[in-house]
Amino acid sequence: MSDIRLEGVSKRYGAVAAADEVDLAVAQGEFVTILGPSGSGKTTLLSLIAGLNRPTAGRIFIGGRDVTDAPAQQRNIGLVFQSYALFPHMTVLENVLFPLGVRGIGGAAARTQALDALKLVRLDGLQDRRPSQLSGGQQQRVALARSIVFKPDILLLDEPLGALDRKLREELQVELKQLQRSLGVTTLLVTHDQEEALSLSDRIMVLDKGRTQQVAAPAEAYLRPANRFVAEFLGIANFVGLADGRTGLVRPERVRVGPTGINGGRPARVVETIYLGQMVRYHLALQGGEDSPVVAALPFVGKAFAAGDEVAVSWDTADIWPVP
Amino acid sequence: MTSTPWSRRLLAAAGIFGLVFLTVPLLIVIPMSFSPARALTFPPPGFSLRWYQALFGDPRWMEAMSTSTIVAVLSSVAALVLGSLAAYGLRRGSFAGRDWAEGNFMSPLIVPTIIVAIALYLSLAKVGLLGSFVGLVAAHTVLNVPLVMMVMGVAVRDFDLRIEQVAWSLGASWSYTVIKVMLPNLAPSVFAAWIFAFIGSFDEVIVTSFIAGKYETVPKKMFNELILEVNPTITAVATLLIAVTVLALAAVTLVLGRAGKLGQTLVER
Ligand SMILES: Nc1ncnc2c1ncn2[C@@H]1O[C@H](COP(=O)(O)OP(=O)(O)O)[C@@H](O)[C@H]1O
Ligand SMILES: [Mg+2]
Repeated sequence: MSDIRLEGVSKRYGAVAAADEVDLAVAQGEFVTILGPSGSGKTTLLSLIAGLNRPTAGRIFIGGRDVTDAPAQQRNIGLVFQSYALFPHMTVLENVLFPLGVRGIGGAAARTQALDALKLVRLDGLQDRRPSQLSGGQQQRVALARSIVFKPDILLLDEPLGALDRKLREELQVELKQLQRSLGVTTLLVTHDQEEALSLSDRIMVLDKGRTQQVAAPAEAYLRPANRFVAEFLGIANFVGLADGRTGLVRPERVRVGPTGINGGRPARVVETIYLGQMVRYHLALQGGEDSPVVAALPFVGKAFAAGDEVAVSWDTADIWPVP
Repeated sequence: MTSTPWSRRLLAAAGIFGLVFLTVPLLIVIPMSFSPARALTFPPPGFSLRWYQALFGDPRWMEAMSTSTIVAVLSSVAALVLGSLAAYGLRRGSFAGRDWAEGNFMSPLIVPTIIVAIALYLSLAKVGLLGSFVGLVAAHTVLNVPLVMMVMGVAVRDFDLRIEQVAWSLGASWSYTVIKVMLPNLAPSVFAAWIFAFIGSFDEVIVTSFIAGKYETVPKKMFNELILEVNPTITAVATLLIAVTVLALAAVTLVLGRAGKLGQTLVER
């Protein structure tokens, strides 16, 4: 297990800076997610850390060792891609044995180690199948087992759950989190799915156009985003004008909606009511104001307002975050 | 049923004509090789294996066969190694002058063979290999590298780069990854490329005539025999050449068919 440190890492492709002076420190055993839209440079950053690519500037340290110029083979990194990238001609067990064989570990010891890794990802019994005989979720488990069997210093995951359907993705998120915690392996995961980032990680690094926007704990980034981009990328953002001329952010969960005339609040009209199972979401038009439409998300307890209803909308000043 | 438009009928007719045009020579040569007659007559008046006996009893034909085979084996293996490495470098690499390098490798396939023959004649003469066995093998290698590159280029392009990258990150060297991960998956393409290179060398006559000196390959000897006299033995040689080619291509089809998707992509090109 090792920590990761990036110091001013840049990667230029002609005029495009896929990574632009990125600084990041991931502590030993920490789970950090790189979150950003498609094309923001997430894969580039991961491939620089993995040694599949060389930065045009900056240094990369793993466990305190400067690996900027070290080949991928010498970095002892577990790598998982969205496309699984299993060796198609090998069985599940052979895939997992591969990194051990490369390290000169063979025989019964290797076999035990590989079967243990397969057990960890709940694939025991499937070791003699070929990748083509497995479902997507199972294939990704094999890739995961292969990436941890040799006790890598760090684990890099590039949208590992991106190809799976929603239910399976949520299941695997929980398993991944548990696996990461029990192994204590320093992990960097890349995703464009903000829910995934918020639910999995100790900290999130938000990336846009190759530049770091914010590095913070999920709740911190969600409630106190460093800028407008982060505010909007992490979820629905209600922006309200503040007295000092700045813009304030109120998240939908912090907006109260009630019948008119009870305990104050600004009058508004329900434009749209959306049921989300446990939650109900209102799109509201404030009356007599220049403010943009407001979105509120409330626990759904039986009765909800319908589109067209007149309501009163309020929020606490403490729940307003002045966006820097 | 709707009537077929005349343009489509015309197309079909042209296709059938083309097919007949290509196969009629085979339909004439093959029966003639089994003819008992001394002169080339069609249809053959009977059946005999005398021209095959003549062929296998003639040490000069046997020597040409062995020269052809040795040259084809050596040059196809050399072309396979060099062409595969070039295909890998061109598909995976990004370096200045990549397109130029690719064009250079492919040129023997595009430039008229007679030009290639003259170029090889001059350059082999310059390095003192004209008329030598090494020169002959080298020339056949150069000629067949583009065929290998075409087949292997598609194979490398269709092979997921991420699989290689994962292998490297797991600690495997580049050569270990090629041997243990890529080759087992690309085996059908490697086989097809090797067969194409082998046939390419076995059938070659123009360049060989220019640079082979005293060495006689089967096609070169056929060509020379035809100039001297028309001996029916040549129909037996031709039939054997056709048989080898057809069997080899059938093997390629079979292997690529088994390989499924990769085979399809190759055949579609
Ligand atoms: N090999 C390359 N050559 C040129 N541009 C590239 C290359 N790889 C990535 N880029 C560019 O760098 C930017 C970031 O790409 P990438 O890291 O793949 O983003 P993400 O993974 O966040 O979707 C994009 O604009 C992409 O077009
Ligand atoms: Mg990506």
